[in-house]
Amino acid sequence: METLLAFLTVFSHPQLLLLVGLGTFAGVYVGAIPGLSVTMAVSILISFTFSWDVYPAISLMIGIYMGGVYGGSRTAILLNIPGAPSAIATAMDGYPMAKRGEAGTAIGVTTVMSFIGGFIGIGVLALAAPFVSDFALKFQPRDYMLLAVLGILLVGSLSTGSLVKGIFAGALGIAIGAVGRDALTFTERFTFDLQIMEGGISFIAVMIGMFGVSEALMQLHHVDKTAVRQKISRIIPSMSTVRKHLPLSMQTSTIGVIIGALPGTGGDIAALMAYDHAKRVTKNPDRPFGEGAMEGLVAPETANNSAVGGAFIPMMTLGIPGDAVTAIMIGALFIHGLNPGPMLMVDNPDMFWFIVGALVTANCFMLFFGLTGIKLFTKIVEMPRSVLIPMIMLLSIVGAYAVNNSISDVYWMLGFGVFGYFMRHYGYPLGPVILGVILSRLLDDNWRRAIISEREDMGRFFEGLFSSPLSTVLLIAVVLIFVSQTPLWTRAKSILLRRSPR
Amino acid sequence: MTIPEPEHHDGTSDATPGGYDHNRRPGELGFAFFMLVASLGLLWNAYGISGFEALSSPGAIPMATTLVMSVSALIVVARTARQPLVAGETIAKDILPVVVIIFVCFLLAYAFLLKPLGFLPTSALFLIVAIKMLSKRSWSFTLTVALGSLLVIWLIFRIVFTVLMPAGIVPEAEFIQFFRNMFNGGN
Repeated sequence: METLLAFLTVFSHPQLLLLVGLGTFAGVYVGAIPGLSVTMAVSILISFTFSWDVYPAISLMIGIYMGGVYGGSRTAILLNIPGAPSAIATAMDGYPMAKRGEAGTAIGVTTVMSFIGGFIGIGVLALAAPFVSDFALKFQPRDYMLLAVLGILLVGSLSTGSLVKGIFAGALGIAIGAVGRDALTFTERFTFDLQIMEGGISFIAVMIGMFGVSEALMQLHHVDKTAVRQKISRIIPSMSTVRKHLPLSMQTSTIGVIIGALPGTGGDIAALMAYDHAKRVTKNPDRPFGEGAMEGLVAPETANNSAVGGAFIPMMTLGIPGDAVTAIMIGALFIHGLNPGPMLMVDNPDMFWFIVGALVTANCFMLFFGLTGIKLFTKIVEMPRSVLIPMIMLLSIVGAYAVNNSISDVYWMLGFGVFGYFMRHYGYPLGPVILGVILSRLLDDNWRRAIISEREDMGRFFEGLFSSPLSTVLLIAVVLIFVSQTPLWTRAKSILLRRSPR
Repeated sequence: MTIPEPEHHDGTSDATPGGYDHNRRPGELGFAFFMLVASLGLLWNAYGISGFEALSSPGAIPMATTLVMSVSALIVVARTARQPLVAGETIAKDILPVVVIIFVCFLLAYAFLLKPLGFLPTSALFLIVAIKMLSKRSWSFTLTVALGSLLVIWLIFRIVFTVLMPAGIVPEAEFIQFFRNMFNGGN
C-alpha cells in the first residue's frame, strides 16, 4: 500500500505533475534542438534546482531526460540532423522517409515506439531494481570498486572510439575527483599547495564545462549551416503498423534496457546497437536499410527510451550511474542529502517508487507532446544557432556560478570547457570523465575498506576475491575488456565485421 | 557496429567520438603529448602525497590512476605518432578557428566582469556582442533578441529558480521588492 502511495506521489501532487509535464515538454525541445543536449540541460539544471526540495527537482529532471531522449528523433527525421546523440541512428532511415513525404508517419511511429520502449524500460526497472538491491546488500567493498572500474571501461569499449582514450578519460575523472583534502585522513591531494584547491573541484563545474561550454564552442563550427525542412503529413500511426513492428520493438527494447543498465553506457550506444540488431534480424524489409526502412526507426527509438529505465537500475540500487545523465542525477541526490545505493532502497523506498511514478508520467506526457504541437515545434527548432550558442554559454556560466556563488567555479568550468572541446576533436570520450569524477570517492573508499579488511595483504585480497563468484565474474569482465584491445582480438573483430552485411 | 559518418569528426557523443580511426588531426599529437606530460606530472605529485607508505594510504588511488593515465597517454602518443596526418585539415580551419578563440576570450571577459559590473549589464553586453557577431544581422534584431532573451532568462532564474547572481551596479533587489509589493498589494 505504501509502495502504491509512493508510486502515485506524482499524481497526488499537482505541482509535481506539472513539473514532470513541463520537464517533458522542455525535454522534447531540448532534445530536438541541435546543440542542446539532455546531459547539458540536466547538468545546468542541477545547479538551479539545488535550493528546491528533492521531489520537484527530480520531477523536472526526469521529465527532461525522458522527453529529451525522444526529442532528438524529430530533428533527425525532419532535418537529417540528430537533435541529440541518442538519435544518431534514427536519422539514417528517418530522413529518407521524410524525403519521400512520409515525415508524419515517421514521427508518429517513433513517438509510439519510444513510448513502448520507455514503458518496457520502466517495467524492468520496477521489477528488477528491488531484487538487484537485495542482492547488492551482499556486495563487498571490492565489488563496488570493480563495478566502478567496469563502468568506466564499458563506455570506451562499447562505443566506436578507442578504449585507450576511454581509459585515459576515466582515470582523469578519478584524479579530478580526488583533488582536495582526503575525507578520511585530511591529507591534501593534487592541491599544489593552493588554498583554492583544498575544497576540491566542483563536479558541477566539470560537468557544465564538458557538456555545456565545450558543446557550444563546437557548435561555432556550424553557425551558418541551414537545413531543408520536410513537409509533415498524418502523424498518428495505424494499429497494424504498430502491431507489425511489435516483435522487433520487444527485442530492441531488451537491448536498450541491458545497455542502459550496464554502468556508464546509455541511450546513444543502445540505439546504435539496436539498429545493428534490426539490420541483422529483418530479413525482408519493405525498403532497404538506409533508404527509409521503418525497422530502422523502430529499433533505435525503442532502445534509447528503454535505456532510460535501464539506466536507473544501477543508479538506484548500487549508486553507480547507468549513463551520463544518471551520473548527474546521483550528484543531484547527493546535494539533497540522499545517498544512492542499496541502502536507499531500504531506508527510503518511497524515493524509488516516486522515481518510477515520475518516469511513467513523463512517458505518458511524451506520447502526448509527441503526437501534438508539430506546428509550434517546427518554429522553435529553427531557432538560429547564432542566438542559441550565446544563450547556452550564458546559462553555463550562470549555472556554474549559482551552486557556490563562486567565480572560481566559473573559471574551472571554462577551463574544462576548453579542455573538453579539444578532447572531443581528438576522439576522447567525455562520459568516462564524468563517471570518474562521480565514482572517484566510491572507488577510493571501497578500495581502502577492502584492503584494510584484508590487513593490507594483496595475497589475501585476491584470495578473498576469487572465493566470491561475483567478484570473480566482475574481475573477469574487467580483464576481458582489456584483452579485447590486444591485437589478436582486434584482428578477429575485423574479420567478423568484414563478414557482416553493410 | 554501424558507424554513421560523424559530422566534421568533432565528436557529438561518446557513441561516436571525434577524430579519425586511421589518421591524426592537426594538433592531435601535440595534445596527446601534452596529456602525457601532464599525466607524468600528476603521477609525481601523487607520489608526493604519501609515497609507498601503505596500500590503503590516501595516495594509493591517486598514484594508481595517474599511473593508468600516464601509461594510456603513452600508448595514445605512440599510436598517434604512427598515423598519417589527415589531408585537407588545418588547425586554423578545423580545430581552433578564430571565432572559437574570440568566444573563449568573451567568456573569460564575462567571468572577469561578472562581479564588479553585475549579472544584468555583463550578460546584456555579452549577448549583444555575441549575437551580433554570429548572426551578422541588423542592430534592431540583435538588440531585440538579446535583451528579450535576457529578460526571460532573468525572470526564470530569479523567480522560478531563485538564483542569486551578483547585482553589481544594478539595484536588482529593489526592483524585485517593488514588484512583490505591487503584486501582494503591499503585504
